[in-house]
Amino acid sequence: MIAPTLSPASTGGPILRCSNVRKSFGANEVLRGISFEIPAGSVLTIIGASGSGKSTLLRCLNHLEQPTSGEVYLDGEPMGVRIKPNGTRVPDKAANIARKRAQIGMVFQQFNLWPHMTALQNVTEALIQVKGLDRAKAADLGRNTLAKVNLLEKADDYPARLSGGQQQRVAIARALAMAPKVMLFDEATSSLDPELTGEVLEVMRQLAQEGMTMVVVTHEMGFAREVSDRVIFLHEGQIDQDGTPEEVFVKPTSERCRRFLSSALS
Amino acid sequence: MIDNFNRFVIPNLDLLAHGLWVTVRICAVAFAMAVAMGAAACVIRLYVPGVRYLAIGYIEFSRATPIIVQLLWVNYVWPELFGFPQSVEWAGIIALAIQSSGYLAETFRSGIEGLPRGQIEASMAVGMSRSRTFRRIVAPQVLLVMAPSIVNQLAVVVKASTLVSVIAIPDLMYDALKIVNQWFEPIEVLTSVAVIYILTIFSLSAIAKRIADYFREKYGLAAYA
Amino acid sequence: MSETLRQSLDLSLFWEYRYTVLAGLAQNIYVFLASAALALTLALFVGLSRVSRHRALRILSTGYAELFRNTPEFVLLIWVYYVLPILISKLLAAKFSLSPFLAAVLALGVAYSGFLSETVRAGIQSIPRGHVEAGLSLGMSRFTILRRIVIPQAIRRMLPEALSQFVSLFKATSIVSLVAVPDIMYQVSMINVDQMRPLPLYTGAALLFCLVIIAATQSINILSDRWRKRGWA
Repeated sequence: MIAPTLSPASTGGPILRCSNVRKSFGANEVLRGISFEIPAGSVLTIIGASGSGKSTLLRCLNHLEQPTSGEVYLDGEPMGVRIKPNGTRVPDKAANIARKRAQIGMVFQQFNLWPHMTALQNVTEALIQVKGLDRAKAADLGRNTLAKVNLLEKADDYPARLSGGQQQRVAIARALAMAPKVMLFDEATSSLDPELTGEVLEVMRQLAQEGMTMVVVTHEMGFAREVSDRVIFLHEGQIDQDGTPEEVFVKPTSERCRRFLSSALS
Repeated sequence: MIDNFNRFVIPNLDLLAHGLWVTVRICAVAFAMAVAMGAAACVIRLYVPGVRYLAIGYIEFSRATPIIVQLLWVNYVWPELFGFPQSVEWAGIIALAIQSSGYLAETFRSGIEGLPRGQIEASMAVGMSRSRTFRRIVAPQVLLVMAPSIVNQLAVVVKASTLVSVIAIPDLMYDALKIVNQWFEPIEVLTSVAVIYILTIFSLSAIAKRIADYFREKYGLAAYA
Repeated sequence: MSETLRQSLDLSLFWEYRYTVLAGLAQNIYVFLASAALALTLALFVGLSRVSRHRALRILSTGYAELFRNTPEFVLLIWVYYVLPILISKLLAAKFSLSPFLAAVLALGVAYSGFLSETVRAGIQSIPRGHVEAGLSLGMSRFTILRRIVIPQAIRRMLPEALSQFVSLFKATSIVSLVAVPDIMYQVSMINVDQMRPLPLYTGAALLFCLVIIAATQSINILSDRWRKRGWA
């Protein structure tokens, strides 16, 4: 394994960098050495067949899964490990991991809204509990963010009363309100009925245009092609094809990637 | 029969009302203690590795011994062993609380273990700590999802409380038996008391059902255990 | 203190009376077996009535189940023991009495038939409507469908739940001492009157119940795991 050098946070450097990330579940190696960088303001899309490791990779980025080896850097700082003065690496304190996670927004396939809280409370919960905002400020910010995803009128509804598309937009607002440095989307539209995916993709498109740094795992190839700055095709835990949307979608060099795309687009 | 009712139930209404008050008092205190002890036992079982076997032993013991055995045990053995409780009423309360706390601990546990993993991941993803996740996300949802089971457990406490008369706590059942032994006319008194108990327990079950329906409607939560 | 503690913790007194206590346990088992048989029989009829096509039958059986599920067992036992014989005597205009044993079996059997009928109903209703329709489309009679398709599946689904109801029933047999059925608790109380040594006696009784119940629940867990692995329950 290559020990990655640790550079201090530099302005203009990549927001997120992962370096030779590997992840095994038991004997099953799901990620086999993934490295890439995400510059500020860019959109990276990860595509691949189910089981190729896309979601695991995304979850490693904010340490919901701990990589078996390799490192993830947020703004130049390693996630989940602490480097002692003598150079040895020790697992970081839970509080520090939590602090870094707060700077990475995540949107889940299953929304994972908290059912016992209203839409607004879902958005303000972490603002109050993690960022320490007072209630009034959090509520203001929460309403503004809900307005951004066009759901201001649903602020006081419980998730059970919202459609899947609306729930997912609340979930995006929940992540967005924390003013994250980067947002991760884990198949954000996969559990939605086809007629509801549009409203969620529209919000994501708008975020991308505003310059949000995003890592998107998706099956929506049209969307990926339109919005991404860079596309990665993952196959059995390795990067099989990597490039601009043009390079990956129009003239992929990998035979596997070409086959995947032709089956995904048909 | 109406005649007997007028002779044995009406003149004793004061006594029966007092008995009912004792029943209510005992059930309320025992239930509150059971919720607290059950929550503690559950949290220890799930999150405190060193002593979790103690919690498991306690939960299993409390669930595996009949309430009357616990009543007699607490009433006769505890004072000798621990020097308390000093009154039969407290003995009854403690026994009822022990019995129910075991069931409640398991109710809470199945609630926590049944909570979808994504709920916890979502709170970790926004940077909440483990303890904050437990307090703000896990515990409230478990209480909501399990509220019907918890209210049902109160109905079980009321049912079990009929046995505290055995250690001479003057509850509703005790007073009823006292009247019966005085006049040897059991029909009206025992039937009236049975009706009171049935109505009380039936109302509690109905409340539990209403809560379950309301929460399903409002939060989309269905009891999953 | 330590001497009294050691003395009172000494369970040998319980051991001295082992035959008396075991005779008590046998009484618990008799009451359990008889009331379990009664409860199961009643529960099958009531549970089937609750999913019947006849409205009156549904209402009656639901009322029965609700009534007995919400009645404290001890109240029911006392009522059956004291009140029921008088009512029957008046009805027959002849002397009628119930032995403690019969009263205990009747009260516990009826009480638990309420719980069990709920299990039976849930088991039957868990069978997808499509299975019935498949049978109907093949020209089976409703009775044949019930007998060959619904009940065999329902029994497997309700077995674990029903078994845990039976464990509760066994625990509940401890109250029969209160109408002087000579069960464990009755024997222990009698010995205690004699010896005035509640600690070893009641602790022994608690441990004995604990042992029997935990053994029963553990074997049920093992069995239902096995059934689940075979795809039964």
